[in-house]
Amino acid sequence: MKVFLVWSVRSVTTFWRRVLTIRWSGGLSQSPLPLKCGRKGREEQLAPPHRVGIALDEKFHRWTVAFGILLLSFTNISLAEEKNALFVAFAMTKEQESSPLPTDSGIFLRKSIDSDWQRIGPVIQQMASFATDPNNLNTLFIACGNGIVRSTDGGATWRMTTGWRESDVNKVVVDPENGRNVYASSVWGISASYDGGETWQTANRGLRKRFSRSIMVDSRNPKRLLVGTEDGIYESRDRARSWRPVRSSPKIVVLRMDRSQADPDLWIAGTEGKGVYLSRNDGRRWESAAPDLKEANIYGVTADPHNEQSLAAGGWAVGVWVSSDTGKTWQQTESKLPSPNVMAMTFDANVPGRLWASTFEEGTYYTDDGGKSWQDGDLYGAYVWDLGFVKIAKENG
Amino acid sequence: MVTVKPEREGLAGVRSILQHIYGIFMNRINWRIFASFFGTFLASVWFAAATASPPPLLQEISDADLIRQYRERCEYVIDQEIEVTDPEDTSRGSFFTIAANLRRQTNLEWASKRLVAANQPPSGAMFWMHPMVLLMQCGRETLSDEDWAFIRELWRTYFPYRGDTENHWIMYYVSIYLAAEMFPEADGEAWYNGKSSVENMAEAKEYIKDWIRITTSYGQGEYDSPNYIEEYTRPMALLAGWAQDPELRQLGKMMMDYVLLDYVVESLGGLYGGAHSRLYPRYLLQPSLTAGAAHGWLFFNQGSFRRNSGNTLIALSGYTPPPILFRIAHGRDEAYVHKELKRTRWRLRNAGGDPRAFEVDEKTTTPVFKYSYVHPDFILGSSQGGLLQPIQQQTWSLIWREDDPSGKSNTMFGIQPYSSPHEGTMYFPADWDTVTDLIARSKVDYDSEDKLEGGSPYEQVFQYESTLIALYDIPEDARFPLIHTLFSRDLEERVEDDSGWIFAKGGPVYMAYYPLAPGEWKEVDWTGLLKGGAGGWFSTNFEELAAGSQSLVSRYLKNGYVVQVAPAGDFDSYASFKQAVRALPLEVEREPTPFVSFQTLSGVKLEVRYGEALEIDGKRMDYSDWKLFDGPFAQAERESQTLEIRYGSERYFLDFENQRTETSIVGEL
Repeated sequence: MKVFLVWSVRSVTTFWRRVLTIRWSGGLSQSPLPLKCGRKGREEQLAPPHRVGIALDEKFHRWTVAFGILLLSFTNISLAEEKNALFVAFAMTKEQESSPLPTDSGIFLRKSIDSDWQRIGPVIQQMASFATDPNNLNTLFIACGNGIVRSTDGGATWRMTTGWRESDVNKVVVDPENGRNVYASSVWGISASYDGGETWQTANRGLRKRFSRSIMVDSRNPKRLLVGTEDGIYESRDRARSWRPVRSSPKIVVLRMDRSQADPDLWIAGTEGKGVYLSRNDGRRWESAAPDLKEANIYGVTADPHNEQSLAAGGWAVGVWVSSDTGKTWQQTESKLPSPNVMAMTFDANVPGRLWASTFEEGTYYTDDGGKSWQDGDLYGAYVWDLGFVKIAKENG
Repeated sequence: MVTVKPEREGLAGVRSILQHIYGIFMNRINWRIFASFFGTFLASVWFAAATASPPPLLQEISDADLIRQYRERCEYVIDQEIEVTDPEDTSRGSFFTIAANLRRQTNLEWASKRLVAANQPPSGAMFWMHPMVLLMQCGRETLSDEDWAFIRELWRTYFPYRGDTENHWIMYYVSIYLAAEMFPEADGEAWYNGKSSVENMAEAKEYIKDWIRITTSYGQGEYDSPNYIEEYTRPMALLAGWAQDPELRQLGKMMMDYVLLDYVVESLGGLYGGAHSRLYPRYLLQPSLTAGAAHGWLFFNQGSFRRNSGNTLIALSGYTPPPILFRIAHGRDEAYVHKELKRTRWRLRNAGGDPRAFEVDEKTTTPVFKYSYVHPDFILGSSQGGLLQPIQQQTWSLIWREDDPSGKSNTMFGIQPYSSPHEGTMYFPADWDTVTDLIARSKVDYDSEDKLEGGSPYEQVFQYESTLIALYDIPEDARFPLIHTLFSRDLEERVEDDSGWIFAKGGPVYMAYYPLAPGEWKEVDWTGLLKGGAGGWFSTNFEELAAGSQSLVSRYLKNGYVVQVAPAGDFDSYASFKQAVRALPLEVEREPTPFVSFQTLSGVKLEVRYGEALEIDGKRMDYSDWKLFDGPFAQAERESQTLEIRYGSERYFLDFENQRTETSIVGEL
């Protein structure tokens, strides 16, 4: 019986691995050339490779593991087959001279700390963000100036699914429970798709001003969304069919938002000219935080998924600030980045405590010691529009 | 199954014969080049002589003759495009040159090789797409199977950006429409965006029709640009020339007529006058260099020939303008006021606070009220001021007639230099802290105090016929707390009169300028930014273009000026003009806000304070019923989707909603 079960587990997992491997082939590694954009002569101080994915306790009983894998394989919930990868959306603007065109632009993935950035998707100007459907990792979305470009085969082929009415999309997010619901924020407002991104409709009802840079789905209640607009934070409780302002939100441009996965009641927002705002009651009430940043333009905010106490924010001319007490107090990092102009930030989804920050044209960096030292993550010359983690298939990592 | 070639068989036999003949000529390359240059010389001499001779009276020229002469100019344009071909050099040559050769079936081997070389790799988005479509249309019969396979692969793999301006979008959608129409059965795998030809055509057609609806209802956003006019005539000529869909073909032709009418009623000898949405500094200084001026020669035989890619495309398209436009261009003996309603570019944000702002399909814009006084010898034109267009707005200008405007700086304009993230983020999706820097990466003078173009929220301009009043109320913390006005090198006998007026002569025009506050004379481009070559192509020869011209720079925050223009023929002498102006009642204040009360040469009393409306003989200027076009040669109501073009008793009516035109004769007005 024991031998039969082990054989069964191996057969089933091998089957699913093969299926997923076939579906991914030619996908995420569409452009296998590593991105060569680091500064010459700079020695990369790489941290030791870290294990990713589900870490199994060796004392855990083999039968329990086998049973769990068997169940997962039959229900097509591929937790064992996915991992988190760092993505970046950028335009190479540093070398742009007498031209409105960046020298490069795109979405790139970094699947592990010791791998290079690899391009995913077509080369189009003004790439803004990237998302995968957590329900089906073969479905990928690019938010860009042209609208939404989608792949349903793991990146092998791409299709622009939006029409002429959608453009200048800043962010795209997918309902974590139902991949048919996809939402996008753009300078023209919100667009929603209820068929997996195949067709789109405007979803601005209730928005007093439509310009929006960020949008998030409430993972505990996917009918609920929050969007950061020119007029502050708005909330929808009906899958973007209508919006209402969050009363305590400042009536200013909200640039970025994040929510703590460790404490889902904790939200953080970066604003234009009014610094950092926090909500400790699941986005219902917002208040100003980080007094030293209260007049700053905050382009990067992030909450550590591994530590409910840990937050970070960065912006123009202020560098990176961190908080280790859920935002009660904030400290500027000891070690400075090559530029104080921070455009995007994210905590590492795989490595607890690791913080990534992208500067304006001076590179992307990470720290494993709360900002005492920074390691080079390449992307010198880039104007990073978005930086974050997405789930991808493990086989591709 | 996707076909490799478009739906029409090529004339392979003819092509091979031509290639054979070409091969024979290749063996005598020195003679061929000699003959080419000599032929060009003779053709140029003949053409110059033909076009330089006095034109017959307008009423003596039949429509058939007008069309024939226009077609001759088109053929000359194509000749000149082919003449620049060097069949030995596949490293040079635009898509337009390739297209001209394909049309005439000349230099075919070069064209094929150049097609490949020019796409290593493809770039330029819609500036790649539309000449590629032109090339494909002109090469229907001559491109080889290999050429078509190469072109199809480009469309499959190169993913163009749709752009961030109105002209980008219309070029993008017209191009993808026409490209897809050539391969109507192609599925999504054939195109970069994964959409089938049917899907691409449906989306493109919907956008094109919507753009026409918006333009003919609320005015163009990127209005009246002497530079960018060809970014609209190119795609419209492509539709008029090659769209197989009869609706789009008709709309393309009608919009060509519309754009050209928009230009011709504010043109002077081919030069585009009045207020403009976008203009580069070198073209501000020398109006004869613009694409608008090049169009003036092609369409209306005004000015002189200059190579222009837009003209090449139009000449190849077969589009022919209605003769009434030629008559409007040439048959204007009397001065007239022409008003237009345009709109600002769509505003992404920072649109609040403007009481005139309105929305069209959830996009915010603000009306632009244009006023031009078009005299046979000059055009004085303006918009109301404020932030109407990002970066390159020209709020007002004066141009005057020159017998030969080539090399002349026959213009005058004023500016409050302004740059800010407020303006940048109003129109571009970049961030507050990066947008000014990024704009200045290409429009390098955007953030410079001596720039020659751009709008300002601290500027208000008022005009009545040949009199213009500009008022400024600039905050102390403004980026550039100053105003300046161009006094070009081609203004003669400039004098600073004890009365406070500055007088000058420009061609057949007298000009008087009364500053509300003192200023100092500075050379144009006094920071040396553009003379130093910053900005690439648009500062080419800038030192030469700017040499000798000066700016009157005033650093008073509450400021303004009055401009009074008059034809020299209205006065016995320059002295009598000056005397007449000195005698005009004028009252000015700078505090608490700038104020002017002035009686014009025509005896009308103008009175205005910054922040308030202009009063003309005690009656406030009313903007509430401003029409899309309102002048003796054009009438169109807001939201009408129509335009009536008038000349004498002749009427040409464009109805965009029903895609029809109507020509009629009415009783003399």
